Amino acid sequence: MKNILEHRNRIMIATILIIIGSVIRILLHNNLPSAPSVYITLNGLTQPMFMLDLFFVVALISLISGLILGGYYTFIVPISIMVITDIILGNNWILLFTWSGFAILGLIGYILKTKNSFTMTRIPRIFGAGIAGILIYDIWTNFGTWLGGWYTHTWEGLILCYTKALPFMFWHLLSTTIAMAIIIVPLVYLKENKLTISQFNVKPLENKVTIIAPAIIMVLALISILV
Amino acid sequence: MDKKIKSNVFFSLKFLIPILILIGLLLSGISAGIITFEKPLEKITGKITAELKIDFNDGKNFSQSITIENSTVLSLLLEAEKFEDIAIDANYYEQYQSYLVDSITYMGKTYKSGDQGHWWIFKVNNEFAIESADKIYVSDNDLIEWKFEGF
Repeated sequence: MKNILEHRNRIMIATILIIIGSVIRILLHNNLPSAPSVYITLNGLTQPMFMLDLFFVVALISLISGLILGGYYTFIVPISIMVITDIILGNNWILLFTWSGFAILGLIGYILKTKNSFTMTRIPRIFGAGIAGILIYDIWTNFGTWLGGWYTHTWEGLILCYTKALPFMFWHLLSTTIAMAIIIVPLVYLKENKLTISQFNVKPLENKVTIIAPAIIMVLALISILV
Repeated sequence: MDKKIKSNVFFSLKFLIPILILIGLLLSGISAGIITFEKPLEKITGKITAELKIDFNDGKNFSQSITIENSTVLSLLLEAEKFEDIAIDANYYEQYQSYLVDSITYMGKTYKSGDQGHWWIFKVNNEFAIESADKIYVSDNDLIEWKFEGF
């Protein structure tokens, strides 16, 4: 009985997270404020320092899915949000790269959960892992952009690709770090004070699938570009 | 030092050190002129000649060598209206702070972005651009290619 209730709770929380992520992404994607007047010049290219997008919403939910729910929900929640919103908002060939990028963020949250890092004393570790996850996401998805032919397949093309991606990366780092401070820190506090849901059990097979899933989507992303 | 105070100091340093490094990088960037708070001056390119190609993805193509002064990719496209029966519909989008090409009408047919998963995209010298067409200045002998690409 306890397991059934636990499973039902996970589905309910996962559903709520998917709804929140999808609604925010759909409603706000055309209503973002203007980029601040800060410019950065690197590699002979002057561009706004921050290019605003809603990455932090899905990134935060991906981390929370891994941290709180774990198991299959680690990748089901972020990918569901992306599938639902991509159907409505549209996407292109890069979609498997973005989906796998968010699955990686979910996996980072899950690894933190398995290492019992969801505590106040380990908040710096959560922030560090979150920031590392954002960097991995940006390196991976922009590698996909370069591979997909938006830039010439040369070293210079790759450098130009990453240089042009910097405003997005800076915004991802800033917005997601702030969002983590606002959402994850209170969640950790609530969990430590036993005001939130208890730990969910993850079976060994589920654990293996959770770890392998992002890698499989990454391979599919590469195949989609190369084939 | 008391063990608890020591661990609290160590905990605080985990936040303080990265924040101080970030502030240091920001201040260094500002003093070195890498980070600025004013919009960069528009690029003055003078009179240039560039090749404009438009691929409507249904067999129709438009190609024209255009001479123009201080032109962005968008204004070069708009210049095409002077040469053939072609009409460009570009509108300003506040959220992107940019002009986007909504449709191009050529030989009586309108090719609208979003229709059946097709969108107007462009390349400058065989490279896709991340910035919008009104932000990129055209240099002499550039090749600007627009395509009604299906996704």
